[in-house]
Amino acid sequence: MSEHAHPVGYKSYFKTWFWLLVLTLLALGLGYAPLGAGFKAFLLVTVTLAKIVLIATIFMHLQYEKLNLVMLTFAPLILAIILFAFTFPETQGSATHVLMVR
Amino acid sequence: MDASIAEQQRILASDWGGGKSPFGTSWSKFMMWIFIISDALTFAGFLIAYGFMRSISPSWPDQTQVFDMRLITFMTFALISSSAVMACAVGAARAGDAKAAFRFLMLTIVGGVIFLGCQVYEWSHFIGEGATLTSNPWGVAQFAASFFLITGFHGFHVLSGVVILAVVAIRAAMGKYSADSVENAGLYWHFIDVVWVFVFAFFYLM
Repeated sequence: MSEHAHPVGYKSYFKTWFWLLVLTLLALGLGYAPLGAGFKAFLLVTVTLAKIVLIATIFMHLQYEKLNLVMLTFAPLILAIILFAFTFPETQGSATHVLMVR
Repeated sequence: MDASIAEQQRILASDWGGGKSPFGTSWSKFMMWIFIISDALTFAGFLIAYGFMRSISPSWPDQTQVFDMRLITFMTFALISSSAVMACAVGAARAGDAKAAFRFLMLTIVGGVIFLGCQVYEWSHFIGEGATLTSNPWGVAQFAASFFLITGFHGFHVLSGVVILAVVAIRAAMGKYSADSVENAGLYWHFIDVVWVFVFAFFYLM
């Protein structure tokens, strides 16, 4: 069932490898850049998501999979964002003193 | 009567009608994806807990001062390269070229072992400087604790990945060769790469 009739894409894998390295160097540069914490975080998340999309679509063959599977694979990301959104406000609240005990 | 048979055929031909796999994959590949999704949530939990602890800490050490970023970048390079070679192994396996698949698999394993070696060095260096799960010389206890838990959990994934790839490579060399098993091992290996991309950005650079 999964025998898709696509050719061995060595060339596209090489290109993807190249762009992943470029994005890695870009992320590294961002790590040292004198930017505001929030803006730096936003840029790093953007670069990271670009790398994830490259790996998932080309290395993990999601470009050849059905939309149902693609949607399934992105479910955890959405769930993680929900978890983040529900827990993060606590950092401003009562949890602080509990976790700071050494 | 004809109309109802046509209706039944129409339902069976639809994605969720029961006539075919809604996800269009073999069962083993689908199970691998389900595993990856659950594992991704585990790592998401780790990273969210880390973000939580970091934001409640009064200060956080500058990671680029604590860690040797040249080493971390080299580790990232090794893992991304091994992932690219793994993609070639899957391509070769799908094309039925067992010899090329075996060679690519061995290269992937080499990349994984280099990564693990660097991590062993990084850990021993970090521990040698006085880092433990409950204290460290640079700041809040949560800094070293997050490091050990997140990179440790990821490193253990790399170790299991190397073992899985070794098994697949040996089986490919023995001629007990299945393109599906290479592809499933490849999915796992790429997932390890995906996790490292997150760790690299959020733990080391942010």
